Amino acid sequence: MSDALDALVERDREHECPGFGPDKVCVRIVAVAKLPSRFGDFRVVAFWNNRDQKDHLAIVHGDVVGAEGVAVRMHSECLTGDVLGSLRCDCRDQLETALSRIGALERGVVLYLRQEGRGIGLANKIRAYALQDRGLDTVEANLALGFRDDERDYAVAAHMLQSLGLGPIQLMTNNPDKISQLQKYGVKVASRLPHLLPPNPHNRFYLETKARRSGHYIDFSGTPHLQEQSDPVLVEGMIDK
Amino acid sequence: MALDTIVVGAGVAGLECARRLQRAGRRVVVLERSTQVGGRCATRRFEGQPVDMGPMFFHGHDPAFLGALAEVAGVTVLEGWPLRVAGDGPPCSPDALEPLSRRFAFAEGVNEFPRHLAGGLTVRLQTTVTRVRAVDGEFEVTAGDGTTFRGRDLVLALALEEARAMLAMLPGSPELASVQALLAMFFSVPSLTVVAGYPAGVHEPAWDLLYPDPSEALQLIAHDSAKRRDPRFLTLVCQARPRWSRARLDQPMVDWSPELIEAAGAVLGPWALKPLWTFPHRWRHARVDRSCELARPVRVTLAQGQGLGLAGDVFAPGGGLQAAWLSGARLAGSMMEEDL
Repeated sequence: MSDALDALVERDREHECPGFGPDKVCVRIVAVAKLPSRFGDFRVVAFWNNRDQKDHLAIVHGDVVGAEGVAVRMHSECLTGDVLGSLRCDCRDQLETALSRIGALERGVVLYLRQEGRGIGLANKIRAYALQDRGLDTVEANLALGFRDDERDYAVAAHMLQSLGLGPIQLMTNNPDKISQLQKYGVKVASRLPHLLPPNPHNRFYLETKARRSGHYIDFSGTPHLQEQSDPVLVEGMIDK
Repeated sequence: MALDTIVVGAGVAGLECARRLQRAGRRVVVLERSTQVGGRCATRRFEGQPVDMGPMFFHGHDPAFLGALAEVAGVTVLEGWPLRVAGDGPPCSPDALEPLSRRFAFAEGVNEFPRHLAGGLTVRLQTTVTRVRAVDGEFEVTAGDGTTFRGRDLVLALALEEARAMLAMLPGSPELASVQALLAMFFSVPSLTVVAGYPAGVHEPAWDLLYPDPSEALQLIAHDSAKRRDPRFLTLVCQARPRWSRARLDQPMVDWSPELIEAAGAVLGPWALKPLWTFPHRWRHARVDRSCELARPVRVTLAQGQGLGLAGDVFAPGGGLQAAWLSGARLAGSMMEEDL
């Protein structure tokens, strides 16, 4: 199982996409290693790209190179949630759920995209939190802080999927728009798998409160929640609107 | 004057925004305090020889931005300038020298770009805005000479601090409060600047741009005359660091100008201590601090339906001219979307 991915590292040495340049995305697979984790047996694939000076990752389970119907989840880096266990967002739940589900399948991929705060950067995300703490209308404030357009992120993600040599994929998302975005960049999406989070004490409020505005929830501690992944949060038992 | 949009500030952001709106059929006026367009994208002439006073060169990677620069007619493009970069100090903009961004200068000066953008626009120079009011679903902007302008949309394309001051003239509202709280988190840094002219040939610096290694005073020294054809003077532009500048911002120019030349002399050698002439300039809001960057222009609708937009170098990633231009272009885009 290791050979196919290792071969991609060889393949991408000195690789340059045709038309490689400032306005074209080019990615290379630069390293592959085993990543046994509490969520299952994975391999981690490191990518280089010419766009954002960020090392994006693919966390791969099973034989995916050349396979069809591979389950794929795109996750945007969220240091506060993923690493620090912040309850201001649901990123850790989303990531852990994706890794456990994929770890239980025959094969699958989590793309770990290093676009903190959906691309606005960590410092601006903390600034947005600070505005929320002051009780401002945070929807407005966040619009202003301006989640960067997702477009270029999809371009890089799509290219990463293509580099892995995946056939038509099954995308784990609650946002059908993501499918058309990826398709725009040439990724074949065979179907969509809803990404439902198992209920837990931290996300229980989703089942009990109604969103005041799109993607805007107040949790039990009174802290506003924002959608940091470009997916609406769906908890099992919630009515899918 | 019947208008759709009033743009305050004829810098690169305001001009690009105005240009796009006018092209889409809107009636637009641009109000500018200074005697020329361009804001910080400024070139001064000394006995006819251009000297860039703010940004020394263009750098960027955005195809639309580079495309707009390519449309400037009648200029000599110095591709790759600065080719010779010396010193270990940090550049003003961290990505200015990265391999993927394109760099170039104009032999005629960077101000040719805003002059090009202003072509066909109504720009009222030497027009300082003294009052902004929201009346009857419109903005009413009053200039120092008493002229008033009314329009449904107002675009503030100013340095961050100046935009904040102008917002403070408007009556408070929740929409405005969130914008103000947002802007309060960001700040510009000053840069005291001195142009020093020497007889051509007195010395030939072996660099185009020098970022002096830990100098308390100097951010950069630009060998400006290296961009000019048959320069009459060797001209150096010395731009000071933010903290150093801040400490002297309200002191008379005659106090800090010689101090900056002395700092240049300490780096370059005694020859640099004796310029033929010097010209100081105070950039109170030279650029946004590196930690300050928004992803897009701010656009809010006030209670009576007036549209308020903000553009400038903080309102797009990366800072500098590219961010300013992009923010103006994107603001115009989002305003026109709302028209549909």
